Amino acid sequence: MSVKEIETKKFVKNKFSEYYREHSSSIQPPTLIEKREFGFLMFKGRIMVRHKSFKNVDDLSKNLKTLVPSDAYYSSAYYERPEEKMEEKSWLGADLIFDIDADHIPTPCAKIHDTWVCNNCNIAGKGVLPEKCPACGEPRFNEKTWPCEVCLESAKIETLKLMDMLKQDFGFSSKETNLYFSGHRGYHLHVESEEVQSLDSMARKEIVDYIIGIGLETKLHGLVEERGARKARVLTGPNLEDPGWSGRIARGTYEFLLTATPSDLEEIRLKRKVIDTLTQHKETNLEKWKEKGPWGIIKGVDTASWRKIAQHGAEMQSAKIDTVVTTDTHRLIRLNNTLHGKTGLKKIEVPVTGFESFDPFKSAIAFKEGTLKIIVQDAPKFRLGDQTYGPYKNRQVELPTAAALLLLCKGRAKVKEEK
Amino acid sequence: MAKYPFTNEATEYAKELELKIEDISEPILNRAEHRIEEALLDAPVREQLVKEDVEISSFPVAVMMVASTADKLMKRRYALTEAKRAFNLLKEEKRDKILEVKNVFNWKIRPVDDKPPYKFALFFTDYLKNATRIQAKKWKLVNRIVLNGEVYLPKYDTVRLLQEEVRVHIEKKLDVKEKIALPQNVADRVERLKQAFTKQKGKIELEGFPKEVVISAFPPCIKHMYDGITSGHHLSHIGRFTLTAFLTNISMTTEEVVNLYRSLSDFKERLTRYQVEHIAGARGSRTKYIPPRCDTLRTHGVCTGMDEVCRSIRHPLAYYREKMRTIKVKAQ
Repeated sequence: MSVKEIETKKFVKNKFSEYYREHSSSIQPPTLIEKREFGFLMFKGRIMVRHKSFKNVDDLSKNLKTLVPSDAYYSSAYYERPEEKMEEKSWLGADLIFDIDADHIPTPCAKIHDTWVCNNCNIAGKGVLPEKCPACGEPRFNEKTWPCEVCLESAKIETLKLMDMLKQDFGFSSKETNLYFSGHRGYHLHVESEEVQSLDSMARKEIVDYIIGIGLETKLHGLVEERGARKARVLTGPNLEDPGWSGRIARGTYEFLLTATPSDLEEIRLKRKVIDTLTQHKETNLEKWKEKGPWGIIKGVDTASWRKIAQHGAEMQSAKIDTVVTTDTHRLIRLNNTLHGKTGLKKIEVPVTGFESFDPFKSAIAFKEGTLKIIVQDAPKFRLGDQTYGPYKNRQVELPTAAALLLLCKGRAKVKEEK
Repeated sequence: MAKYPFTNEATEYAKELELKIEDISEPILNRAEHRIEEALLDAPVREQLVKEDVEISSFPVAVMMVASTADKLMKRRYALTEAKRAFNLLKEEKRDKILEVKNVFNWKIRPVDDKPPYKFALFFTDYLKNATRIQAKKWKLVNRIVLNGEVYLPKYDTVRLLQEEVRVHIEKKLDVKEKIALPQNVADRVERLKQAFTKQKGKIELEGFPKEVVISAFPPCIKHMYDGITSGHHLSHIGRFTLTAFLTNISMTTEEVVNLYRSLSDFKERLTRYQVEHIAGARGSRTKYIPPRCDTLRTHGVCTGMDEVCRSIRHPLAYYREKMRTIKVKAQ
C-alpha cells in the first residue's frame, strides 16, 4: 500500500468517525439486540472483530464511536450467548434474510463500469469478471465494481418479484418484512416472524429454490398432454390467474410470447418451423389465451416446444436472490443506518409502499455538507442526489463530500495533499 | 388410540394403566417384542390388532427396549417401521381422523373443500420441516401450490408428511442419553433381539475393498453418501444412482456395490442387483453409466458443498482422478 493510499484510508476513517459522532442517535438496533452477535470490519488490516454483544443500543452506539469500523454487522441469528465461540453460542433461531445484489443479476449495462486486474499477470479488463484470466488462465482477480443506476434498477425489479412471492405465496405481512437498500449494489429483505425463526438451513434452501425456481417442473403444475375428444392429443396447462408458480408459469409464458423476438425463440432452441409458426400467428395466439390458455391450440407447436417456452417464461418470473445468504442461519448482515465501507453511503430502510419510486442515490447519502478536493484516477459517469458527475480520468476535482467519498471508498481516487 | 400409540392420548392412557416395568404382563412383552422384530428382522407385519390395552401399552415398552440398546441403526429402523405402520393405517382414514392426529404435532392445517384434488392446506413451515427429508421432485416446494402461507395437499401427500413427523417423533423418544435399567426378563429379550439383528447385519457386514478403491480420494458428495449408506441412512434415488455409477466406474464389483446397500431398510437384493448391473452396463442397453455432473448434483441437492479440489473440476469422477494423482505424488 502506498503512502497515498494509507493517507486516503485515514481520511475516510476520519470522515466515518465524524458521522458516528454526529449520528449515533440514528443507529437502529435490531430486535432483541442482547441475543445478537455483532461484527465489525476494521479499516486497519481489514480485520473482522467478531463475537461482540451489546445489552442496549447505547452500548452499541458508543462502540461504533470508539471503534469506527469500515463496516458494521449483526447476526441474523439469535443466540443464548452471542459473545461466545460459534459452537458455544447456543443458536435460538434466525430471521429469514434475502439479499438481492447486482453481482448476481445479468444487467443491461453488462457491468461495463466494473474493472478487474489479474492477480497473477496484472492484465486488466472491463465488464463481467471472466472465470479465468484470458492471458494466463489464473482464476484470481482484483475486482473493482461500481454501483450503477442500471444495476440497481435491475436489482429493484428482482426485489419486486421477491416481494410479490413473499406476500402472495408465503403470506408474510408488511409488518413482518423490512426492506433495506444495502448502501452498495442491492437490497436486503428481512423477514422477522416467530414462525420462520426455527427453520433450518434445508428448509431455507427450499425457500430459495422456490424463489429462484430451481427444480420447477411444468408437468407438476399441470402442463400435461391429455387425450381429448376422438382421442386427439391435447395439451392442457395452468391459467394466468392460478395461484403460486402455476400462475407464474402461465403469465411468464404469456409475457415471453408477447415480447420474444425470433432470435429469443432461437436461443431457447426451438425448431425453425415452430419459431415461424409462433411469429406468424403471434396476435391470434395471444388473443386466444384470454379464453382458455394457449396450450395445445396452435398447430405445429409440439409439447416439447411448449415445455421449453414455459420453462423459459417461468425463469423470467423468478427472483435472482443470493442463495447463500438466505440458507446461512448464522449470517452476519449489515446494520441499518451504518456506513458502507465501499461507498460511504448508508444502509437505509426503504418504505415498501413507495419502493418503486425509491432513489437509492438520493436517500442513502450520509454526508450532506461541504466539498472535498480529490485526485480521480478513473471513474465512470455517475449521479448522486440531483447532480451528475464524471467521467473522470486522472484529474483533480472538487466534489461534494458524498461524491468524493464514494470515489475514495471505491478506490477510484486519492486525497489531495494539503499544502 | 391402539392404531396410533405415539399420540399423547395413548401415552396418557398407558400412564393411567400404571405400567411398571417390573410387572409388565407377558402378552404386552410379547407384542412389544414382535413390534421390534417386525422392524429389525423383517418379520411379517401383523395387520390385525391384538387387545387394545395390550397394543397401546406394547408401544412404550417397545420404545424402552429399543432405546436401551443404544444402537443407532436399530433405533432408526424401528422408528421408520412404526412410522410406516402409521402411514398405512392413516391413508385409509377419513379426513377428520387425520386432522386429529395432526394435533399431536401442532401442525397448522385446515381442511379444504373448494380446490379439488386438494383436501388440506398446511402452513408452509410445517410442510418444509417434513418435506425436505423426502427427495422426489413433487416434494419440492416450488412444485406445489403455495398461497398465503399455505401449501395445498391431497390426502395421500398429507399422510406421507405425517409419516415423516411420526418417524422423527419416535426417533426423539428413542434418543435417551441415560442408561436404561431393565429387569432381567426384559433385558434377556432385548439381548435376544440384538443378537438376531447383529446376525442379520452380519450378512451386511462390508467386505474389504480392492486396493484400487481409495475412499480418501472420494469427493465430498460421494463420501457423504457412502458414509450414510454404510450406517443405514436413507438415500434419494438420484443419490443411489450417483453413488452406484461412481463406484462401478472406479472398478468396484457389482457384488461389492450390492453389499453396500444391504444395511438399508428397504433393501431388496434381486432388485438392487438388477439396478447395479444395469448401471454398470452388464444389462439392458449395455451402456455403462457415469454419475451426473456437479451442477446437476447441485440442483438435486446431492452436492454437500465444495472443497478446494471441487473448485477445479466439474465432475465427481474428475475429482477422484485428480485426488488420486495428488495422493500418488505425495506418496512418492
